[in-house]
Amino acid sequence: MRLRARFVAGLSATALLLAGCASGGSSDGGSEGSASDGAASQDVCESAEGDGPKIGLAYDVGGVGDFSFNDSAYAGLTQAVKELDATCAEAEAGAGESDADREQRLRDLADAGYTAIVGVGFVYSVAVYNVAPEYPDTYFGIIDGFNPTKSQKDLPNVANIGFAANEGSFLVGAAAALTTKTDHVGFLGGVDGPLIQAFEAGYVAGVEEVNPDIEIDSQYLSQDDPVKGFENPAGGKTAATGMYDNGADVVYHAAGKSGLGLFDAVEAAGKGNWAIGVDSDQYLTADPAQQPFILTSMIKRVDTGVFEFAKGVDEGQPPSGYVTYDLASGGVDYATSGDFLSAEIISQIDDYKQQIIDGTIKVPAETTS
Amino acid sequence: MSRTTAAPAGRLAVSLHRIGKRFPGVVANHDVSFEVRQGTVHALVGENGAGKSTLMKILYGVHKPDEGTIEINAERVSFSSPTDAIGHGVGMVFQHFQLADNLTVLENVVLGAEKRHGIADAARAEIGRISTAYGFELDPDELVETLGVGERQRVEILKVLYRGASIIILDEPTAVLVPQEVEALFANLRELKREGNTLIFISHKLDEVLAIADEITVLRRGTSVATVLPGEVTSHDLAELMVGAELPSPSTEESTVTDDVILDVAGLTVSDAHGRPELADVSCTIRAGEVLGIAGVEGNGQTELVEAILGIRKALAGTITLAGADLSTWGTRRRRAAGVGYIPEDRQRHGLLLDAPLWENRVLGHQTRAPSSRGIWLDRRGARADAQRIVTDYDVRTPGIDTAARALSGGNQQKFIVGREMSGEPVLLVASHPTRGVDVGAQAAIWDHIRAARRRGLAVLLISADLDELIGLSDSIRVILRGRLVGEFDPQTVTPQQLGSAMTGASERTEEPV
Amino acid sequence: MTALRRGVLALAAPVLAFVVAAVVTSVVLLGTGDSPAEFWQVLLTVPAGRNIVNMVNFAAILYLSGLAAAIGFRMNLFNIGVEGQYRVATFAGALFAGQAFLPGALNTVASVLVAMAAGAAWAGIAGVLRVTRGVSEVISTIMLNAIALSLVAYLLRRVGNRIGQTIETDEIPSNAWVPGFSLVPGETAELYGLALLAVVAGVGFAVVLNRTRFGFELRATGYSESAAIASGVDVKRMVLYSMLLSGAVAGLIGMPELFGASHAYGSTIQTGIGFTGIAVALLGRNTPLGIAVGALIFAYLAQQASPLGITAGISPEIILVTQGVVVLSVVIAYEVVSRYRSRLEQSAVAAALEAERRHEEVAA
Repeated sequence: MRLRARFVAGLSATALLLAGCASGGSSDGGSEGSASDGAASQDVCESAEGDGPKIGLAYDVGGVGDFSFNDSAYAGLTQAVKELDATCAEAEAGAGESDADREQRLRDLADAGYTAIVGVGFVYSVAVYNVAPEYPDTYFGIIDGFNPTKSQKDLPNVANIGFAANEGSFLVGAAAALTTKTDHVGFLGGVDGPLIQAFEAGYVAGVEEVNPDIEIDSQYLSQDDPVKGFENPAGGKTAATGMYDNGADVVYHAAGKSGLGLFDAVEAAGKGNWAIGVDSDQYLTADPAQQPFILTSMIKRVDTGVFEFAKGVDEGQPPSGYVTYDLASGGVDYATSGDFLSAEIISQIDDYKQQIIDGTIKVPAETTS
Repeated sequence: MSRTTAAPAGRLAVSLHRIGKRFPGVVANHDVSFEVRQGTVHALVGENGAGKSTLMKILYGVHKPDEGTIEINAERVSFSSPTDAIGHGVGMVFQHFQLADNLTVLENVVLGAEKRHGIADAARAEIGRISTAYGFELDPDELVETLGVGERQRVEILKVLYRGASIIILDEPTAVLVPQEVEALFANLRELKREGNTLIFISHKLDEVLAIADEITVLRRGTSVATVLPGEVTSHDLAELMVGAELPSPSTEESTVTDDVILDVAGLTVSDAHGRPELADVSCTIRAGEVLGIAGVEGNGQTELVEAILGIRKALAGTITLAGADLSTWGTRRRRAAGVGYIPEDRQRHGLLLDAPLWENRVLGHQTRAPSSRGIWLDRRGARADAQRIVTDYDVRTPGIDTAARALSGGNQQKFIVGREMSGEPVLLVASHPTRGVDVGAQAAIWDHIRAARRRGLAVLLISADLDELIGLSDSIRVILRGRLVGEFDPQTVTPQQLGSAMTGASERTEEPV
Repeated sequence: MTALRRGVLALAAPVLAFVVAAVVTSVVLLGTGDSPAEFWQVLLTVPAGRNIVNMVNFAAILYLSGLAAAIGFRMNLFNIGVEGQYRVATFAGALFAGQAFLPGALNTVASVLVAMAAGAAWAGIAGVLRVTRGVSEVISTIMLNAIALSLVAYLLRRVGNRIGQTIETDEIPSNAWVPGFSLVPGETAELYGLALLAVVAGVGFAVVLNRTRFGFELRATGYSESAAIASGVDVKRMVLYSMLLSGAVAGLIGMPELFGASHAYGSTIQTGIGFTGIAVALLGRNTPLGIAVGALIFAYLAQQASPLGITAGISPEIILVTQGVVVLSVVIAYEVVSRYRSRLEQSAVAAALEAERRHEEVAA
């Protein structure tokens, strides 16, 4: 009896522990995220009472508070509330969801009367293409989205909002190559998939454009688990520390919230080492102690994507099909906050930028492995 | 039946008055009264389930009585924990030793009583003093795991004395000892008594009680039925007081041994995980209608012998033949299906699924045979009907066959197991301590069943710590010592004392076994 | 014990557990400044037809996962490798089905069998390690989970096709898809066809467990390993068999969705079901019916929690607290109730004996 009781108790304890593991990243992130989310909701969505577009934002794992991708989307939402008198709602994703769960979330938003619904992250692609036909008067945008259907037929109320992350990454790659003293740089990816590989491909191309002899360490935090990939600052720190220890002195991340671990690592590695942020201008949101280490950030204007999508819906010209934000359209860029890049380097990067816009330099979007 | 006698003079150390204790649905004690004088040995006897242990746990502060009063040294007390009891000088030596094997004698004694004399020299001095005073002969720095059973028991007593107890409860202290060790224990107890300590001695071995006690209180069905003086009663009188009925005796009638060899064990050798021999070259045969008794101090290879025959333990060498068929390569299931009944030593761990209903326990060990199963399917109806038959035939006291085995008393659990193992026409019954912890009524019934089966030609391997049982039931007795069968005795002529000598190895030097 | 009392006792534990879970969740909500009233309002809204379908679909998947875990638990084998087993199995099944070696329904059946075999094989590794080397299945299945996830991700990269931002195995030809069927009249959302696997597996589990020798030996091992050994149960073999069986059932987890919706194994596959299954099995006390109730409850909570963020501004993750507390309190409540019950039973035995004794005394 006692043995059995102990077995059961052990079982339940472990089950809870595992349940914790399974969603550990997100509940961890959730606590951080929901704190700012709660505040954000009060600031923007709860107080928004305009008669503009009704925007529903469905986040990917992590939600607001990643100081990166999701926050950038939130910034676009804030802008829409201010400039378009929008009202809004936000919904968070849980870890390890199925498409059915995401569809449910989109339907909840649509049923609640939101007419401009943005799925933040490509994982919403399948769900949006499944749900959209049921709501012809509701417009859906998918950040980094793609058309998963076999027919590849566009839906009139679905827009895939893409970014030429490879182009922006090329520029920060050039910045890294021009800054490194050790001729050794690093790349820290979240989940090893086509999306993040585009960041790596552009970055590598940028580095090699400047100096093909520079050594590049590339590492992904996970093969396929978004929680381990994008929600894992501890893992990010470990990986980044390894790179700095290995001789790299500039590391670029495309790993969402895991990138916060990179900033911890660079601070620990000390002066002379640099980190490059992603998605938002991460210098602006970084801890003051870490700001001196953030060389630049690859800016992916998710905020612009969200805002312009909402604006299009509001003005009766909702975008559909593929909408790509590239260097030319200002959808991606690099940041100079902190003034760590010298005027000389900046002019060199701007030169590359022009060549990309001109088409002189073609930036690969896929890694060559 | 109640007797009053002139009690020995002396101050009252313990006085229990009309103690009652109920557990949900069970009255464990009611209206128990007796008095113990200082400097005496007071024995408490009663069959299993008579309420001895509950009563002593009340006195030791483990349970609180629902009614009645306790006085210690003429002071009315109410213990809420053993700590309270020890504070009043009451200590208890449990039947199952509570010692840490990997600690030394000193560490075991001091553990939990560090405040008394510290853990160093003062403690060592105190242990030395007690040990010398009572002739314990214990080395404080020896590891407990190297000690024998008798020595361990002395450590337990030492622990109690070290904590300042002068009233010591001993719960079935002789159950684990061989006759020679019992004598040594009694010498220690007399020493303790001489020093003014008061001893409460729980036992159901009446001869021992008569030998050591100054006064005897008999418990039956939770209540005290008599307090008697040893000089005035015989063990037969005591037993009748305990049972309140005519006594059964385990003696067999005329021999039923035939010439058919059922079990033939030859050169059986078993080693433990570290290669230490546990059974060495054991050979024996049992014929149809024969009961072979195995006597021995526990831990000398009985368990290994039984498990090797059942196929639970791998034999290193030797053969086991059952009615002419070599069992050596067979698994346990096949051996049991071939007609080996098994009454395990520890019925709760090896013989029952405590949380399963009785009818499922009927299936246990018989899951491959009718009426428990048909092919791959369980035969629920057959199993239930046969469980009901066992309950009726073997007088298993239970509300029904859907009751969990756990809810039954030990005796009824054992009767059910015996009934189960007797069903399906076994050719060999391996019975380990079949009546251990079973009340007298059930004991008689189990003996009757074994005898009846023997008449029908069943071969029985009987392992028991109860020498009377062995002598009464067996057609021949072998003694097992350190993994070897060392002697063969005729139960008609052997005495427990002779068996005891053989069991401890004393006979190896002194006399050849018959 | 009367039937009524039995019934009341059977209900007491879950009811008690849910009351505790409700109180704890409310307290947590109050503590974080959210409104419990809004929470319960959202949670107790009568679900729409489509939500009911989703709920049942998810419950079927959770049921299979709970069943896979329960097979091990029934004999005190703590197989926490269901997650890895189902990932390996689903990948293998999807890969096989995508090759279309066989036509139509034959392909479906064969692929399900392949998935079961893959799950069983993966679980079997832990079984073999346990039986031959005494490696605790807890440790080995945890490790195998990690290996499974990486292995599948690696293989997917090798054999998969890039679809947009994801990588998927070859799509299963449409003639091997299993059509869904309507659960709620007038609702377009359909129940996965292979959700019926849950019913089949559940009935199979119940029959095997309660009606066969194998099931008896499995339960006997769970009740008392020592008694099982003494009764001729080959415990090592039982360990291996139950791990294989557990893995085979784990192999079914991914099938309803694979053949009903996704039609390929992709890098966005739903994760964590194997772990949730442990909780579901615990909630259901490892009985076929109990697990079904547990799966429905978990599915209900998950489904109903979805709009929390939108309508009440409460993070849906609060539902993990509710689920966790439900499981914990169910475990505790059952232990309390079962002790109470066994005491009642003992006193019933004692009372019966006492009555008998009185009768005898009167007679004498």
